Amino acid sequence: MASLFNEKDQHQLNDFYNPNVLINLGPSHPAMHGTLRVMCRINGETIEDANCEIGYLHRAIEKLGEEKTYHQWMVYTDRLNYCSALNNNVAYAMAVENVMSISPTERCQYIRVICMELARIIDHIICVAINALDLGAMTVFWLLYHWREEAYTMIESMCGMRLTTTYARIGGMSYDLPDNFTERLWKFCEEFPKALDEVEGLLTSNRIWIDRTKGVGVITKEDALKFSITGPCLRAAGIDNDLRRDRPYLVYPELDFDVVVGSNSDVYDRYLIRLEEMRQSVRILKQCNKKIPNGPLWVNDRRVHIPEKMEVYTKMEVLIHHFKIFMEGIDVPKGEAFTCVEGPNGELGFYVVSRGGPKAWRMRVKSPSFMMFQAFEKTVKGGKIPDAVAHLGSVNIIAGELDR
Amino acid sequence: MKFHESQAKVTTRLTEKYSKERKLEFDKLNEPVLWAKNCDDVKLLIKQMTLDDQIKVDYLSDLTAYDNQDGEDGDKRFVLVYQLYSLELHTRIRIKCLVDLNETAQSITDLFLGANWLEREVFDMYGIKFAGHPNLRRILMDERFSGHPLRKEYPIKQREPFSDNIKFHLGANPEQVDTHSTSEEK
Repeated sequence: MASLFNEKDQHQLNDFYNPNVLINLGPSHPAMHGTLRVMCRINGETIEDANCEIGYLHRAIEKLGEEKTYHQWMVYTDRLNYCSALNNNVAYAMAVENVMSISPTERCQYIRVICMELARIIDHIICVAINALDLGAMTVFWLLYHWREEAYTMIESMCGMRLTTTYARIGGMSYDLPDNFTERLWKFCEEFPKALDEVEGLLTSNRIWIDRTKGVGVITKEDALKFSITGPCLRAAGIDNDLRRDRPYLVYPELDFDVVVGSNSDVYDRYLIRLEEMRQSVRILKQCNKKIPNGPLWVNDRRVHIPEKMEVYTKMEVLIHHFKIFMEGIDVPKGEAFTCVEGPNGELGFYVVSRGGPKAWRMRVKSPSFMMFQAFEKTVKGGKIPDAVAHLGSVNIIAGELDR
Repeated sequence: MKFHESQAKVTTRLTEKYSKERKLEFDKLNEPVLWAKNCDDVKLLIKQMTLDDQIKVDYLSDLTAYDNQDGEDGDKRFVLVYQLYSLELHTRIRIKCLVDLNETAQSITDLFLGANWLEREVFDMYGIKFAGHPNLRRILMDERFSGHPLRKEYPIKQREPFSDNIKFHLGANPEQVDTHSTSEEK
């Protein structure tokens, strides 16, 4: 049969169905969430082969962990997953405390749980809102980002900073909660779920949203296990695992919450899981707000306790002590510990090896994004390019945590 | 708490079955650290543990290494660290293994696919090679980079600037398909 097209047009069509076309998703593309780069070999619009290239945001944070003292390195944890800096601060402080065999006071533990759950809400807001924005649903973005701002304002009242918080300290927190915090948190807990209801009304049974997300970006249960995927993505694959419940830390055993588990492991399930996890976080926040005890914030341990500013200015010994903590650093005994917490993205671990002295011998950050992006390389194959964007948005890969 | 009980059971199992000829230690959280005899032993050990119905390791939490320049952990240069986890029992086991500068470790990518990038990172940062790895290239640093940044002798402020970008390619095995032959067949 003769071709319907003339020779020139046919040539161009061949170009379109050329199975050797390489395209570059990222590293600087608004839908690529930071400096992520995926090189794809496409045929038409189907991705036939993909290769992830990482390292664009590599800042040698692990090497710096061996060069800085334990306190100095706290600020670097903010820059790991910058969407939930509080979570990283607390996890890191816990890791060092575990090596020093310190357990924080009860009030401190409650404040830390509040921090971690607020961070989880913010992180999930970003993930859901940006995922919807990538797929064209801008209203969701405006609705949820209002509450992200509210949460950040609350965090600002806690520690004076919004994005990079550096709130936790080894053995305590840098500040106690502000005066009107309980009412503020209560108001947030009462009103934020209404926004979630609105979002659910906009998306959950929306035909376009379902078409774009159901059956897209499937990571099978076997793959999820083999690739060590963690967090909401692992639970979306039907594996019931949450470190807050299974290996409880801080005061999580005293709190009542449910672990959300999906079954289809697609973008839609991950979206539902994140929505429900936000509701569970609100539940935890409400309980913390009721249960938080009065009492000391700092652990009674001279090695780590940073003295009160007023005393530093008035007493000689305290001034010396303060100077020693900040100029020499705290002395962490020889030993090691691998501390994992359930971060918003999954199992976030700090493996601290100490050989004594104020600096770590090895500071390893086990980031959930690293494992997830590795699986992305495999699971994106066979899908279309717009599906890749939906898939990437739903696994919430943060470049700062990925490259460290 | 529940996981403490299962952790204790796993520890007893480790002492009974695995600690012969191997050193068993406990870290600050009282989690077991098992020193493998050598690099080949690691893979064997992990394989045994995945099949062991009392330990039930099914999840690779992390794979990393650290420099043993001061010789505190043994006479070899690096220590490889495998963090294993059981999703059913919620227990952790750490396997460690000493590797020397010119020694090649065994890749565990056939047991856990997730080990692929982790081993690449260890190779990138320490220069430890893994036998049987499908694609052992640098991962975080540039492909032209020389040296291994997490070794203790690597200075923190050393810089290595590169003039321009590397050539565009698709990983280690760029699949080249012959365009003309396929289009003619159609």
